[in-house]
Amino acid sequence: MTAIDTDTSANIDRSAMKISDEVAIEVTGMNKWFGSFHVLRDINLTVYRGERIVICGPSGSGKSTMIRCINRLEEHQQGKIIVDGTELSSDIKNIDKIRSEVGMCFQHFNLFPHLTILENCTLAPMWVRKTPKREAEQTAMHYLEKVKIPDQANKYPGQLSGGQQQRVAIARSLCMKPRIMLFDEPTSALDPEMIKEVLDTMIELAEEGMTMLCVTHEMGFAQAVANRVIFMDQGQIVEQNEPKEFFNNPQSDRTKLFLSQILGH
Amino acid sequence: MSAISEPQAEGFRLSQLIYDTRYRSITIQTVALILIVAGVWWLVSNTIQNLEALGRDFDFGFLGQPAGYDINQLLIEYDSQSTHGRAAVVGILNTLLVAFIGCITATVIGTIAGVLRLSKNWIVARLVAVYVEGFRNVPLLLWIVLIFAIVSESTPHPRDFAGGEASMLFNSIAITRQGTWTPAPVWGDGSLALVIIFILSIVAIIGFRMFARRRQEATGEILPVLWISLGLLILPSLIAYFILGGPVTLDYPETGRFRFEGGLLVRNSLIALWLALSLYTGSFIAENVRGGILAVSGGQTEAASALGLRPGRTMNLVVLPQAMRVIVPPLISQYLNLTKNSSLAIAVGYMDARATLGGITINQTGRELEGMLLLGLFYLIVSLAIASVGNFYNASVKLKER
Amino acid sequence: MKASVFFGAMTVAGLASVAASAATLDDVKARGTLNCGVTTGLAGFSTPDANGVWEGFDVAMCRAVAAAVLGDPTAVEFVPTTASTRFTALASGEVDMLSRVTTWTFSRDVDLKFEFTGTTYYDGQGFIVLRELGVTSAKELSGATVCIRTGTTTELNLAEFFRINNMEYEPVPVETNSEAQQQYLAGACDAYTTDASGLAATRASFENPGDHVILPEIISKEPLGPLVRHGDNDWGDVVRWTVNALLTAEELGVTSANVEQLAADGSDNPEVNRLLGTDSDLGAMLGLESDWAVNAILAGGNYGEIFEANIGESTPIGLARGLNALWTEGGLLYSPPFR
Repeated sequence: MTAIDTDTSANIDRSAMKISDEVAIEVTGMNKWFGSFHVLRDINLTVYRGERIVICGPSGSGKSTMIRCINRLEEHQQGKIIVDGTELSSDIKNIDKIRSEVGMCFQHFNLFPHLTILENCTLAPMWVRKTPKREAEQTAMHYLEKVKIPDQANKYPGQLSGGQQQRVAIARSLCMKPRIMLFDEPTSALDPEMIKEVLDTMIELAEEGMTMLCVTHEMGFAQAVANRVIFMDQGQIVEQNEPKEFFNNPQSDRTKLFLSQILGH
Repeated sequence: MSAISEPQAEGFRLSQLIYDTRYRSITIQTVALILIVAGVWWLVSNTIQNLEALGRDFDFGFLGQPAGYDINQLLIEYDSQSTHGRAAVVGILNTLLVAFIGCITATVIGTIAGVLRLSKNWIVARLVAVYVEGFRNVPLLLWIVLIFAIVSESTPHPRDFAGGEASMLFNSIAITRQGTWTPAPVWGDGSLALVIIFILSIVAIIGFRMFARRRQEATGEILPVLWISLGLLILPSLIAYFILGGPVTLDYPETGRFRFEGGLLVRNSLIALWLALSLYTGSFIAENVRGGILAVSGGQTEAASALGLRPGRTMNLVVLPQAMRVIVPPLISQYLNLTKNSSLAIAVGYMDARATLGGITINQTGRELEGMLLLGLFYLIVSLAIASVGNFYNASVKLKER
Repeated sequence: MKASVFFGAMTVAGLASVAASAATLDDVKARGTLNCGVTTGLAGFSTPDANGVWEGFDVAMCRAVAAAVLGDPTAVEFVPTTASTRFTALASGEVDMLSRVTTWTFSRDVDLKFEFTGTTYYDGQGFIVLRELGVTSAKELSGATVCIRTGTTTELNLAEFFRINNMEYEPVPVETNSEAQQQYLAGACDAYTTDASGLAATRASFENPGDHVILPEIISKEPLGPLVRHGDNDWGDVVRWTVNALLTAEELGVTSANVEQLAADGSDNPEVNRLLGTDSDLGAMLGLESDWAVNAILAGGNYGEIFEANIGESTPIGLARGLNALWTEGGLLYSPPFR
């Protein structure tokens, strides 16, 4: 099913992060079409609690679509997705449950421009988790401190830089206390000097043991943080391995070609 | 030092007034101002001179004289012996009435059409597109006259009801070529109490909403605000109605010698004007609404969904507050347009301010200048009032950016 | 409808720009045409024919004035005006005279600063209703819906008539005669009220005139006549005496057929000679040529000829002379003497 079995993935625990045997996400035989375009083909993927997975691949390879399927922003047409023991189906209750377990950050941050930073962070806790306002604000401030922008709490998204906005977006997701975080190219829309501040936040999150699936082309990040790198092309998982092996000793020609292009820069 | 100060030492040359960007705009503004002042002065002085030459004075005394003419649609008491001033007020109220109900229905129609035009259902989207393009691209006057012709020529004559050739809807509503008669409410003893209870229940709704918000902030509990509000709106008044023994009764229209007697008559002129204004303005509003919804990027909905917000809450808390910023400013200008367009009322004989003050009164008294100035002032005040409400809203929801 | 908004607004502009000249006669002569305000179309009084040439009773008055002043009855620019735009058109100088079934009233004469130059048609306001309604008197109209043209004296008369007789009615305001016709025929109103002459003209244009009756009551006095701006007495005199010339011509038996011969050969009647300018030069006193009256009469005939040709009993309008007969024949028409 997966190229790496549980034992090996436990062995590559370089940064002393604990990876358990508990399955966080299990995807089996997933297929998806956009119209007649077969965008995801027979995806099989098991993610264990605490894993940090980086997904890379050329654009249009289906990597974003895959992680968007995990919290039902996209609907898959075949196969099975089980997140934290809950199977993703058209049942609204299941979708709600999974979405409250899974946080997501987007390429374009998607902060709510009409709300302050603090309100962005308390909106979902108040309206989904039914948290009292004070408690929600305390939690929000906690996470804003964590992403190092508590002093911006009363500003509006439009008043912040891109890097700051993305960190707010991460804090906003964390306020829902998710057990899994999905990142969809979180640094692609940022200037180089802002990429670092976002990556630092993500590394910190990883060190705390958050289960993370991250679509990114930041190979430095993959080498530093990931315990597994997945390469996708044409809707398929072509290859997956621990980072060192993946970068030093890619198996397939397509991976080699991709790596040569992306590292050649 | 000398090299730096040299250009200043050059002094001021006259050509700089035209070619130097520092002075150019001042020059242009000065010339424009002089031309405008001269033009206005010329118009005013000529008007005064010509009025004198004609032996005419400038006097608003006619507003206090008996009007002498009758008006069919009255919101306040008026008869032919009332003054021209009161006739003007009757017309102004009629204008405000059609503008008010027109704005409400135009908003409802426009919102529904705007949302439906984004529908994935091909037929629905096409039909709405036909409506929008059809109404936007044909002059309003034609629609008013056309709708008037349809409502007055496709419906039965009031006399047909007496003869049994036509029958009333639910035995109480008569749609005729002179207008639609409906039962009129008769406010009996105890009506006042009922009205007070109704007003109190509206106050209670506002209070309840504030309570619900505080409660959510304190405990996180979300109360079903919509249903409780609806209940508060209807139930107390309903219960009071029965306890008070039904103080409000209905006066049903009955066939008379020429037409119906009793009941409430909604004239075809009002119906045609109202429908035409609503449908015409609604087609513009539909485009505003569509644009407003499209302006909120899909990412916003996705982010809200990813946070676990249900679609209804996403719409209320995320999409609508943003879409409203885009929709409201052009919506306000559509309200302005509708109000001003209502002056086409005379095409179907609706007695608005333009028809009374700006029409019959001017014709009977010959005070065109005074009448037109007053009429212009009225529309100006109404427009400014609507616009200031809109500006207030815009200022309060303006997005803060760097 | 829209036009009246436009003209209403234009009044300001009109008053502001065109200084209505005090010497209209000179203006007309210099321009070579007479600008005459008429209706937008009322059969028999002023309406363009199939070729777009204006004809009718009021039009004939314009032509007579043009002939008297310019010697050419076709040198007229007809300006269609509605009831609500007519006074603005005259006051602003857009037209030199109005000849469009306009009632002579105190306020129009005095307050609006116009000058009525005589009565060309003694009219009164009546009602037309469907025959099948079985109404025989205007006093039976209580509760009826009545179409009424806004901005007219009839509007005021109607309000007074129903008020005096303690009756209710529903006014349906309309802007033009054709609109009134359409509304009345569509059943949007039970009755239409306007000058009796207008009712006759309107009924004549119906498909089945017999289905409609004109009620016997005449509820007002409506002396109709041409009018000019107040203050230009010379021009007022020209229009007034042109009308009088047509009346006097009928009284003296001068017609379009014999006027040229009478002018050439002279007559035994000195007043005819004075009128036609063969004896004394009344024309010069008006600032006109001596044959001014000859030209006026040649334009469309004397008053009687104009009446018969346009609205008389031989026409579809079918109006009897009635009050509009000469005083010598029991009517009210009476011209001051040419002396």
